[in-house]
Amino acid sequence: MSARQAWALVRDTVREAGARWVFWGFYGLSTALILFFLFLLRIDVIEGARATVTLFGETSPRAVPVERLVRGFQGAVAAFLYVAGMGLAIFASAGLMAAVVEPGRIEWLLSKPLPRTRLLLWRFAGNVLLVCVNVSYLVVGVWLILGSKTGIWDKSFLVAALTTTFMFVVLLSVVTLAVVLTGSAVLATMVAFALMVVSPLLAQHRLMVKLLDSEFWRDVWRFLYYVLPKVFEVGKINMDLLRGRPVESWMPVWSSALFAAVVLTLALVLFARRSY
Amino acid sequence: MSDDAAIETHGLTRIFRRRWRGGEVRAVDGVTLRVERGTSFGLLGPNGAGKTTFVKLLLGIVTPTAGSARLLGVDFRRPEARQAVGYLPENHRLPSYWTAAGLLDFAGALSGMDPGARRRRIPELLELVGLREWADVRLSRYSKGMLQRLGLAQALIHSPALLFLDEPTDGVDPVGRQQIRAILRELEERGVTVFVNSHLLGEVEMFCREVAIMDHGRIVASGKVKDLTAGKGYRLTAARVPEAAFEELRALAVTAAYRDGLAEFQFRTREEVNRAVDLVRAQGGWLESIIPTSSTLEEVFMRTVRAEAGEETR
Ligand SMILES: Nc1ncnc2c1ncn2[C@@H]1O[C@H](COP(=O)(O)OP(=O)(O)OP(=O)(O)O)[C@@H](O)[C@H]1O
Ligand SMILES: [Mg+2]
Repeated sequence: MSARQAWALVRDTVREAGARWVFWGFYGLSTALILFFLFLLRIDVIEGARATVTLFGETSPRAVPVERLVRGFQGAVAAFLYVAGMGLAIFASAGLMAAVVEPGRIEWLLSKPLPRTRLLLWRFAGNVLLVCVNVSYLVVGVWLILGSKTGIWDKSFLVAALTTTFMFVVLLSVVTLAVVLTGSAVLATMVAFALMVVSPLLAQHRLMVKLLDSEFWRDVWRFLYYVLPKVFEVGKINMDLLRGRPVESWMPVWSSALFAAVVLTLALVLFARRSY
Repeated sequence: MSDDAAIETHGLTRIFRRRWRGGEVRAVDGVTLRVERGTSFGLLGPNGAGKTTFVKLLLGIVTPTAGSARLLGVDFRRPEARQAVGYLPENHRLPSYWTAAGLLDFAGALSGMDPGARRRRIPELLELVGLREWADVRLSRYSKGMLQRLGLAQALIHSPALLFLDEPTDGVDPVGRQQIRAILRELEERGVTVFVNSHLLGEVEMFCREVAIMDHGRIVASGKVKDLTAGKGYRLTAARVPEAAFEELRALAVTAAYRDGLAEFQFRTREEVNRAVDLVRAQGGWLESIIPTSSTLEEVFMRTVRAEAGEETR
């Protein structure tokens, strides 16, 4: 019975997403990128390991190593996905999470015979599923196209789907907490965006610790750095993995995961106690 | 056997704190109530009496400040208590991206019905509420009355033993109301317990066997509709009744009010109504009608609520 309810809640989430233009825009953007690589961009491999690129009838004057070319394109797609794709995903998902607690709907949902935590958790999961499928669609699509055009099948690019989905889950936890507290999709989006914007600044904690002259503010800075999700640094790890560079520290990943776990638990606990 | 009750509450209380102005609202104030299985029960009360909050408490939508309750013998804090319960919320906004059939399917799945049972039940229900032709149309294109009928259908999807309806005929036209009433009758015959929140006295009177009147979060009167409305009288309506005469008649009458530009009085005895007629005529008023009545729930309601208000000002 709980599996049936879970499936119904996920299906409801997907159905609602289908009725919203942001999700179509999200998938449309991925499709546009895939079509770009499929039709507009021509890659001619010459002299074995070098290639030229043709776009809108213009051919690049110099041939570059194919491998570098492919890595370059993959890097651009991964970075675009991690920043713009993530922003769009958050924007779209905040609306979807807030819809659950909309007056007139939440009373109805809560009257059904299932625990509140499950209600929220399965909407969360449905949301992650939507984003995960889209991100994988883009990454695998681009990977297949570049691979078939150049013969280079670099699996490390596929990790980009994983890192992006991971950071999305972290930020969606924050969105969920904000929605439970305020019911506002706009506010939830703003909070998540603020975390994205502030993370490259916080990541400079070594430099800031030198610059700040009060021990108190240094502690504040360090505290914020260690507690808040490390969007910027996980993004850097994403690129390191892509380029085959060694990863300096996994701390940004696990501390962000810990943050997400705590925030999501808090959201569920508060949701279970609220009156609507 | 205390498990026999469909609804049983003990001192159920919910206090809302006003965030800005301070102070508190006792929305539901120590309600102890028992509704037997198979009863059609009406909860009446003026706006803000606490009817909606009471139902939300029972369904775990609002958390209680104090008190306990059981639905069909199960502690109301457990999700299983809502297993055999259907609910039509007040001012609901069902997800408008579903079609009628899709929404019923979703509701059925949330109640744990298997797909086969849902497939069989959905056309039946759509037929029942007169939305069969609309099965595949999105709710965003429904009128208010249609949404209300669909809301009733979704509450019935899993054939509940206990049904909560908060202002069920809100926004429904007279024909639709008649249909809803017929549906409720049928449910009652099948032994379903129906709990209706309403401020439409006539409706509660026509449908419910038992009724409680709520005011300021408390049950101020309850009993069988039959008993509460026992007692005969006369209703007099008149036009152009001078103020002085109106006051004089008010003292004589059970209830007095202006309605649609006419003065309306309820009297207990033939002597009283005749005295009133003399008075109206002597003061230059015009008689509109005199109707013998068996005391309506409305009078009981007005009397009880007004008595409560009187007590408070004292
Ligand atoms: N979430 C809330 N926060 C604060 N006060 C509330 C809340 N919900 C209800 N109230 C207050 O509780 C009281 C009872 O409200 P309730 O909606 O239960 O009344 P009602 O009998 O259903 O009225 P109506 O006939 O208008 O639907 C009102 O004074 C209302 O202002
Ligand atoms: Mg109400």
